[in-house]
Amino acid sequence: MQSEPTAPARGVASAATLAAAALLAACGGGDPDLPAQFGDPDTALRRSDLLPIAQPLRGQRQAAAAQRLPTPTELLDFAERQYAQFFPSNETNQLSGDVVYRFYPRSGNYVGVSGDAVLVLGPLSNNVVTHVGNMRDFAAAVLASRPALRAVSDEEAARFVLHAQFSTSTEDIAAVRAQGYENWLDAQLALPSSQSGWDWLTQKGYATVDTNEFFFAMGTNNYMIWYQMFQSPDAVRRRWALALSEIFVVSWRGIKDVLNWDNFAMAEYWDLLCGHALGNYREMLEALTLNPAMGAFLSTRGNQREDATTGRLPDENYAREVMQLFSIGLHDLNLDASIKRDGNGQPIESYSADDVSHLARVFTGYDQDRSHPTFVNPKPPHQTIMNVVAVRGRMVLDATKHSTAEKSFLGVTIPANTPAVESLRIALDTLANHPNTAPFLARQFIQRLVTSNPAPAYIARVASTFVNNGAGVRGDLKAVLRAVLLDPEARGAASLASPTFGKLREPMLRIAQWGRTFKLHSKRGTWKANFGPWDPVRDLGQFPLDPPSVFSYFRPGYVPPGTQMAQTGATTPEFQIVNESTVATWINQLMSVVFRGIWVSAPQQAANSPVPSATDGQDIAPDYSVEKALVGDSSALVRRLNLLLCAGQLSPATSARIAEALRVDGIRSDSSDDFKQIHVARAIVFVMCCADYLVQR
Amino acid sequence: MHILNDERHTRRTFLRRASQLALAGSATPLALSLAAMGEAAAFDATDYKALVCVFLFGGNDYANTVVPLDDTRYAAYSRLRGAGAGAGLVIPQSALTSTELRPTTALPDGTRYALAPEMPELAALFHQGRLAVQLNVGPLVVPLTRVQYDAGILPRPPKLFSHNDQQSVWQAQGAEGSTRGWGGNIGDLALSANSKAMFTCISVTGNTVFLSGQNALQYQCSKAGAVAVEAIRGSPGGQFFYMPAMRSMFEELVQQPQTHVLAEEYNRVVRRSLSAESQVSAALGPVQLNTGFPADNKLAEQLQIVARLIGARNALGVKRQVFFVSLEGFDVHDNMGTRQPALLRRLSQALGAFDASLRELGMVDQVTTFTASDFGRTLSVNGDGTDHGWGGHQFVLGGAVKGKAFYGAPAPLSVGNSSAPDDQWHVGQGRLLPSTSVDQFGATLAQWFGVSEEERYGVLPNLRNFGDRAGRPDYPVDLGFMRR
Repeated sequence: MQSEPTAPARGVASAATLAAAALLAACGGGDPDLPAQFGDPDTALRRSDLLPIAQPLRGQRQAAAAQRLPTPTELLDFAERQYAQFFPSNETNQLSGDVVYRFYPRSGNYVGVSGDAVLVLGPLSNNVVTHVGNMRDFAAAVLASRPALRAVSDEEAARFVLHAQFSTSTEDIAAVRAQGYENWLDAQLALPSSQSGWDWLTQKGYATVDTNEFFFAMGTNNYMIWYQMFQSPDAVRRRWALALSEIFVVSWRGIKDVLNWDNFAMAEYWDLLCGHALGNYREMLEALTLNPAMGAFLSTRGNQREDATTGRLPDENYAREVMQLFSIGLHDLNLDASIKRDGNGQPIESYSADDVSHLARVFTGYDQDRSHPTFVNPKPPHQTIMNVVAVRGRMVLDATKHSTAEKSFLGVTIPANTPAVESLRIALDTLANHPNTAPFLARQFIQRLVTSNPAPAYIARVASTFVNNGAGVRGDLKAVLRAVLLDPEARGAASLASPTFGKLREPMLRIAQWGRTFKLHSKRGTWKANFGPWDPVRDLGQFPLDPPSVFSYFRPGYVPPGTQMAQTGATTPEFQIVNESTVATWINQLMSVVFRGIWVSAPQQAANSPVPSATDGQDIAPDYSVEKALVGDSSALVRRLNLLLCAGQLSPATSARIAEALRVDGIRSDSSDDFKQIHVARAIVFVMCCADYLVQR
Repeated sequence: MHILNDERHTRRTFLRRASQLALAGSATPLALSLAAMGEAAAFDATDYKALVCVFLFGGNDYANTVVPLDDTRYAAYSRLRGAGAGAGLVIPQSALTSTELRPTTALPDGTRYALAPEMPELAALFHQGRLAVQLNVGPLVVPLTRVQYDAGILPRPPKLFSHNDQQSVWQAQGAEGSTRGWGGNIGDLALSANSKAMFTCISVTGNTVFLSGQNALQYQCSKAGAVAVEAIRGSPGGQFFYMPAMRSMFEELVQQPQTHVLAEEYNRVVRRSLSAESQVSAALGPVQLNTGFPADNKLAEQLQIVARLIGARNALGVKRQVFFVSLEGFDVHDNMGTRQPALLRRLSQALGAFDASLRELGMVDQVTTFTASDFGRTLSVNGDGTDHGWGGHQFVLGGAVKGKAFYGAPAPLSVGNSSAPDDQWHVGQGRLLPSTSVDQFGATLAQWFGVSEEERYGVLPNLRNFGDRAGRPDYPVDLGFMRR
């Protein structure tokens, strides 16, 4: 949603101001700040002839309406291509208020997007802010003239699919090559959201109240999330939701002992992310704030107003973390996530302890909905158990427990006695519209999906799309996801050739990829897939929806000491869980599942079983039938695994070496099925334990 | 550091030796080769020393750990936390008698403290003279009063009250993103004393900047010892890679040099892991430790392996080590009345068992353990919990500790914002303004460890703002809690 523009000077800027700007430009003194008038398109002069578009294209309004509007980045790239006489270089996006713009030192011209208006300023417009059209007017020309974005090889297609979701298949690769990146991606994004985690748990019987005590912490939510990762057909949405879960964190271990139905609470939180992943950030932020699991995790649940007589103050947990982690971060940022500096060269803290204390007052008065009938645990000691509805939907407000004090934070003052709903709206609007939010989140989105130390210009492009999706809407998460995945930095060959581009695959995603690639299936259909830290020599070290704290598994700013990354300050978050233990436990863990699948105790029933039973075994098994048909040709087998698992990124030397190693066991096309099974398992272990695979580029 | 003779430990010698460090334990990216040092130092068991940092993640509430006991102060504590009395946030005075701390020299003004009732083991260690309490310690850049803090006229630690940053400031004197910790800086000086430098800095709990020095890097050991890769070492069920040729090709492939920076850095860790594992496993094998450690206690599990590693020190070829272990869950914004006691019980039992195991090994004078935490918390309560603070009370444990004593200044109990003396040692809501800095705390430990005076300023660069050299004898660089 668009924020109020900053109060601009009305009418034409003074010649002196613009002359000064032009002078700075001529001296090459960096990019001057955008003149304030730029932010008020309504007062701009209108000249639709200034940036002419061929008439047929301009007349194709209906065609344009059927397509989407371009993002600001696409529009500005088009301006550079089409009107190079005015915009003669490749510049990076910048932000002023809500205006995404570029400045060209050689010509002294600005071009920018404000809402859905395209504005220019500079010598080309006689130094008058000029509205040259709307995004609609340029849409057809922009979208038609973009350089073709197509995969020219299976490897390129696979690389794209693996950026976008958990795994790839030969079918996906063929579809991407036939349809092009954008059409394929849009088709994935248009898939309806598949079965919710809540419904899955219910279907599997975990809402039943009996002596199994499913309402207590048993880890059945783990079955849910692993199933979602292994099986959901709308894989792009779910992959993106998982990335969001590593930023907008609720961790199971933080809530499992403090509310009933922790499994459904985690499912509801997960479903919230899936539901909002392709929607709007501002709405997601509100839903998260009032989500019961989040309430239990960051103590908004039951948070009460201040009390002068007892000295009680509101709990500050959520207020701090919603700023530090979910919206504005710790310092002021430019659009490319570089840190703003004050006059002494110091970073500028974005909020103070007082901001936290005051914002905390907004999040008072909320609690789980306890109005629904409770029940009694059928098992002794027959405790009272809350209705499962209490972990669903939104927490409810008790206005008598809401702080009526004045609340001043981040330059905003909410008057005393403002109703809670209004206070919440103001607070969340303030966070969502803050200039930090777009770059703070954009950098992390890129880190989750594509590369650990993204180029500033890439960040600026993605952040621009957060600011404005092209239709003047802020916080369009679907548009932002597209921007991350379709950016030339992610798709181009240059990044693939770079020795620093990419990211270390997360351990849980390696397992998810294995499971999907090899069509993991639960023989008895109970899908009790789980991994845990039970065995120190096989510890996966990372569990979905269950990081050590709200700070996730690793920090976005983590730089591993004593490495080449430390010399340049390159951030590589996933290295925070890399050490002498975890590199070894990964190999052991993979080996323990890759041959016959995941061991399940009592796979015939939903409940756990504390004692061994005859049915225990590898209920959740992979399907290596295609691979087994290739065992007679080790190079072909390695080629297939190379393509599907790492988009052909194994070096030729590594591929050859693996093929050579695989021949050592004497496998033949007519070997037994069992021998072929373990042979394929060996091949997978070879591929998935070498660094060529482990670093995704 | 003055361990063997001076010649080995001049800065020039250190630098020359650093270039000889063809060790995977160093930051220099050379091929794996755990070569013994030139001069085979004799590993004299009596000359061993280790520091063990026990990090309490989340920010431990000081006021319910070291609890005011004398009537005046107890009354203030009980009043100021009264809003949380129904949620268990005011410990009954009668519950504190069994864990009262009776120091050798009484505190002034009749001040008395007790530990939380869940900590009888630590209370016993206090009275046996092996535990000291450091009051109100936390990060400072320079000595600071409340007036100066409120006016913002003197430098203060970055990003106060933020978990991840304060964890980093405690460990590395800088906000998140810092790459050198004072444990690692101490480790740098210790490398040349150890024949296997890789085992100088050991974490049992995950990556930590505390143990990163310029050359010293942490070695990660699991609570079950070094993790062997079954595909390479073989395993009981192991038909997977039973052919030696396949196994050795696998072993080669997972370590091979890479041109991609991230891939190469990953493989360096793999090389270290494989190289170290057989040595650590062999060293731990013969170590007999009969002391029982409490079950269901993650800190105890970690300290148990630390004890065994100390028992294996000669086989590991080390005389000076720095360890890092941790306990999580201290961020008690809510449910503090149930969560914190459970954590303090684990802390006390784990440290009690650790002390007993060191006595069994005969190493209790050679190992000094200290606690640290992101921060203390507010004195005021939010109903059923507390919020982020700053200064807190920490423990120092070991045979070389001058125990049965308090160090640092007791802070008055107040949450007001007046100019009265009682309000000068907190910065609002009873968040303590530290009267002792982490630098002084670390320097005192480093001194015992053998770090010379000059080198202490290198280990803790911020130390120069305290003590006589800074004209602040009221912030001494030797807090006095260690015997010589």
